[in-house]
Amino acid sequence: MKVIDELLSKLPFATTGLKDKTYTVSVPKENLYEAASFLKKNDKLSFDFLMDVVGMDYGDNLGVIYYLSATQYPSYIIALKTATDDREDPQIDSISDLWESAGLYEREVHDFFGIRFVNNQDMRRLFLRQDWNGYPLRKDYDTNPELNPIPLCNEDLNDMENMPVIEMVVGEKQDNVHKLFDAEEYIVNFGPQHPATHGVLHLRVSLEGEMIKKVDPNFGYIHRGIEKMSEAYTYPQILHLTDRLDYLSGTINRHGTCLAVEKGLELDVPERAHYIRTIIDELTRVASHLLGWGCMAMDMGSITAFVYGMRDREKIMDIFEETCGGRLMANYSVIGGVMNDIHPNFQKRVKEFIPYMRKMLKEHHLLFTGNPIARDRMEGVGYLSKEQAISLGATGPTGRASGWSNDVRKIEPYAAYRHADFKEVLRSDGLTFDRYIIRLDEIEESLKIIEQLIDNIPGGAYAAKTKAIIKLPEGEFHQRVEGARGEFDVYINSKGDKSPYRIKFRSPCMTLVNTLKSIAVGTKVADLIMLGGSLDYVVPCIDR
Amino acid sequence: MDYIKNIVTGIWHLMQGMYITMLNMIRPKVTEQYPENRGKVFPHERMRGLLVMPHNADNQHKCTACGICALNCPNGTIQVISKKETDEETGKEKKVLDRYMYDLGSCTFCSLCTISCPQNAIEWSTNFEHATFTRPKLDEQLNREGSTLMKKVK
Amino acid sequence: MFHFEVVTQWIDRFLRTYLQGGWALFIEFVLIGVVVLTAYAVLALILIYVERKVCAFFQCRIGPNRVGPFGVFQSVADMIKILLKELIKIDRVDPRLFRLAAYLVIIASICTFGAIPFDKGLHAVDFNIGVFYLLAVSSLGVVGILLAGWASNNKYTMIGAMRSGAQLISYELSCGLALMTIVMLSGSMQLSVIVEQQSYAWNIFRGGIPAIIAFVIYLIAGHAETNRGPFDLPEAESELTAGYHTEYSGIQFGFFYLAEYLNMFIIAAIATTLFLGGWMPLHIPGWDGFNEVMDYIPPVLWFFAKSFICVFLALWVRWTMPRLRIDQLLNLEWKILMPISLLNIILMAIWVIWII
Repeated sequence: MKVIDELLSKLPFATTGLKDKTYTVSVPKENLYEAASFLKKNDKLSFDFLMDVVGMDYGDNLGVIYYLSATQYPSYIIALKTATDDREDPQIDSISDLWESAGLYEREVHDFFGIRFVNNQDMRRLFLRQDWNGYPLRKDYDTNPELNPIPLCNEDLNDMENMPVIEMVVGEKQDNVHKLFDAEEYIVNFGPQHPATHGVLHLRVSLEGEMIKKVDPNFGYIHRGIEKMSEAYTYPQILHLTDRLDYLSGTINRHGTCLAVEKGLELDVPERAHYIRTIIDELTRVASHLLGWGCMAMDMGSITAFVYGMRDREKIMDIFEETCGGRLMANYSVIGGVMNDIHPNFQKRVKEFIPYMRKMLKEHHLLFTGNPIARDRMEGVGYLSKEQAISLGATGPTGRASGWSNDVRKIEPYAAYRHADFKEVLRSDGLTFDRYIIRLDEIEESLKIIEQLIDNIPGGAYAAKTKAIIKLPEGEFHQRVEGARGEFDVYINSKGDKSPYRIKFRSPCMTLVNTLKSIAVGTKVADLIMLGGSLDYVVPCIDR
Repeated sequence: MDYIKNIVTGIWHLMQGMYITMLNMIRPKVTEQYPENRGKVFPHERMRGLLVMPHNADNQHKCTACGICALNCPNGTIQVISKKETDEETGKEKKVLDRYMYDLGSCTFCSLCTISCPQNAIEWSTNFEHATFTRPKLDEQLNREGSTLMKKVK
Repeated sequence: MFHFEVVTQWIDRFLRTYLQGGWALFIEFVLIGVVVLTAYAVLALILIYVERKVCAFFQCRIGPNRVGPFGVFQSVADMIKILLKELIKIDRVDPRLFRLAAYLVIIASICTFGAIPFDKGLHAVDFNIGVFYLLAVSSLGVVGILLAGWASNNKYTMIGAMRSGAQLISYELSCGLALMTIVMLSGSMQLSVIVEQQSYAWNIFRGGIPAIIAFVIYLIAGHAETNRGPFDLPEAESELTAGYHTEYSGIQFGFFYLAEYLNMFIIAAIATTLFLGGWMPLHIPGWDGFNEVMDYIPPVLWFFAKSFICVFLALWVRWTMPRLRIDQLLNLEWKILMPISLLNIILMAIWVIWII
C-alpha cells in the first residue's frame, strides 16, 4: 500500500520486503526504538496495535519480531525485525512505553530467550520461576533435569515482588531492582487456587479496605511448553496440542494452525472443508460465549445462570461428539481439510439447535440481563477506552465492546466467512455491561452465520490429499484467526523440515489479563472477580 | 418519582428472573442418570473412547506390524513389538505382530494412529470407562493371545 | 382442634404427682432441652435436603438421589461424615476465639429457635417480651461471625467478617422496624398473645397495606440477616472462597452450616408467627363450613406449612439472583428499606388509630 511504502521509505536504516499484505522491516537493534516510535507516532498512519512479539533464536544471533498493525488498515501487517549477536548478555531497547502490551510480551521473550529489554520497568520472568536455569526456547538450551530439579520449597515471595530493571540513568545503563508493593500494603492473593480465577492464575492484589489499589498477575502455574514441544513434533502432531491451548475455542485454534500450514504448503483446501470448519468454529464460539456468560454470572453469585449456560452448551458438545468424536477436544481440522466427513445427523441437529438457542437466549436475557442487581453491578464499572484497548491489545469481544473494530473474520475473511452475511457487533461504551452483552449478541450473529452456511455445504471431498510426511518450505508463515476471546495468531518459522524451527501462538487471553491491571484499579474486590468474568480469559491459553 | 419508579421496575425485572427459574423448575430435567442409562443415549458411535484392534471370529486381526501408527503417535503411546516368522506357503521369513502395546495413560486421543494406519487395523471403540486403581493397568495389549494376521480377501 | 398443650400438661402433671416441684421442674428443663436440640438437628437435616433438592430443580438437575429413595437420607449421611471428620489445626490462629466463634453462632441460633411457638403449648419459653428477645438473641450471631473472621488469621475471612458486620448490623434495623409495626398492631410483644389475636384474621390481612409492606421488608431484611442468597457477601464463594468460615473444618464448620440453615428457618418461622398467624388455621369470616374444615388440620402442620412456604420463597430468591456488591447492599438498606420502614410505622399508626 502506498501510505505504508511512503512511511517505510523514511526509515533509511531498514531493509524492507513485502509478501501478501505483510511488510517485513529489518532494522539494526540500535535503531529499533526509533523505527518503532516512528511507526507508532507518525501522523500519516499510526501502527497502534502491537499484535505479537515473537522471540527468535536464529542460531548465531537472537532476534525479536514485532508484529504491528494499524487499526485504520487492519489487514496490513508490519513484521518489525531486529537481532543481536550477543548471546551472553543480549540487550534490546524496550518499546514498552509505546504500546502498553509490549511490557508483558517483552517479559515473555526475556523468559524464554534471555533477552533483556533496556528501560522495561519490569523484567521478572513471566512463566518460569525466577530461579530457573537457562532459557528454554534457545536452541542451545540444556534440557538436563539435574539443572532444574523439581523445587521442594515454595517460590520466594520476594521473587514475585522484586522487579529487576535495566534503566538508562543519565545516558548510562544501570541494573536496578524495583519493588512492586510497599511494605505496608495489604496484599491478598487471589489464586493460584481460587474459585473465580478461571484456571490456575495468581493475582496479587493490593487492597485498601475493599478497594483495589494494584493488581499484579502471575502466570505459569500450568505452563506446558507447547511451543517448545512443537519444535520436536511433525505438523500433524502439533495440531493435537492446539486444541489444548484455549480449550474453549479449541477448534478455532486448530483451524488457525491448519490454515498457517496450508498457507506454507500452498494447498488447495476443498470448499466443503472450509464450510464445515466454519460451522464448527461458530458452534465453538457459541459454546464458549455461553460458558463465558455462565461463568460471569457465577462470578457474580448467580449459580443457576451458570447451570443454564452449561445445559445449552451441552447440546453443542453433543453435536461435536457425534461428528468429531470428541467433546471438548474436538480434534477435527487436519491439514488439508477435516478429519472425517460430517455425520449424517449433523445438519439436522444443528438446525434443531438454532431455534432452541434463540429461545434460550431470550430466557437468559430475562434471567440475568434485566436483573437490576446485575445491571447495577455491571454498569459504570471497569471502563476501558478504545485507545487503551488498542494499546493493550485487548482483542475480541473485549475490544469490540470498546468500539474497536477488530474482527479478523471481517478484516481478513478466511475459510467460508466471505460467503456469510453477518455484522460485527460493536459497542462504544467499553463498560463491563458492554463486554457482557456483546457476547450474547455475538451468539446471535454466530447463529446467523451457521444458519446461512448449514444448508449450503458444497459437495465434494472433505479433505485434500496430502503427502504422508508434510514438510513446510523454508520461510515464515503468519496466520490470524478470530478465536472466541480474541485474535489468535500462529507464527511458523520453517527451515524446510517436517517440524517447525519455531512456532509461536498469540494468546488473546494474556493481554486480557493484563487489561485487569488498568481497569480494576479503584474498583472493589467483588468487581475484580466480575471484571475477570467479563474479560473471560482462559488460563491454559496464557500458559502455553 | 424516579425513586419509586426505579423500585417498581426493579421488582418487575426481579419477578421476570424468578419466572424463568420457576419455568425451569417444572421443565423436564436434563441430568444424565449415568450408571443407569449406560449405552442408551451416549456415547455416539464416533466417540474416541479407547483404541482397539478388531478381531474376527477366527481370532485374526489386520495389523502387519508396520509401525506407522507408533511413528505418528506424538506421545509414544503405541509400541509395536514384532517377531520373525516363516510363512507356511512361501517359506519366506516374514515380520508379524507379536504384541501391540497401548498405554492409555499417555494417550491424548488425537486419532493420528487410526487415520494413518494403511490396513485400518486399529479403530476407536466408544468405551469410556477407563478408571483403574493403578497406572500399570492402563497398559494394554490390543492383539489377543494367539491371534494371527487376517488373510487378504480376494 | 388438637393442641400439644394436652401432651405437655399431662407430662407436667405426671411428673408433679411423683416428684417434688424442684425436681419436676429440673426434669422438665432437661426434657425441653433435649427436645429442642433434637428438633433443631432434625429440622436442619430436612432443610439441607430440601434446599439441595429445590436448588437442583431450579437448575434443571435432579439433585441428591443416591442415598435412600429420592436421596432423602443424603443429609443424614452428610451429617455422619461431618461428625467423623478431623478438626484440622490451623497454624497461627487464636485457638480460643476460633473455637468460641463456632459455638456462639450456634448458641444464638438455638436460643432463638427455642422461643418460637410451634403450637399452643409447644413453646419452650413464652416471654412477655418475646419479640424483643428474638431480636436480641438472634443478633448475637454476628459476634460469632466477626470472631470467626478475626480469629482465623486469614485475609479472606477478615474481609468476609467485616462485610458481615456491616451487613448484619444495618439489616437488623429494618428487621426490627418491620417487627415493630406488628407489635403496634397487636399491642403486645408476647408471641403467644400475638398468635391468639390472629385466630380470626392473620396480621397480614388485619394490618392491611402497612402489614404487607412490613412483611416484604421483613422477608428481605431477614433474608439478608441469614447471609444467604443475593446477600451472601460474607461468604461470597466466588470472591472470598468461603468467607468467614474458610478455615473451619469438621463439626466446627458443621455448626456454621447448621446455624445458616436454621437461621433461614427461624426467619421464616418468625414471619409466620407475626404475619401469617403462627399455628392458626386459615379462617375466612363468614365461611363457617370452610373454617371448620380448616380446623381439622393440626396446628403444627399449619405452622410448618406456612414456614416452609417462606423458606421456599427464600430459596427461590437465592437461586435466581446474583450477589449484591457491598455498596449496593448498604444502599438498599439505608436508602430504600430504612425510609420505607420508618414511613410504614407512621402508616401503621394511622391504620391502628383510625381504621381498626
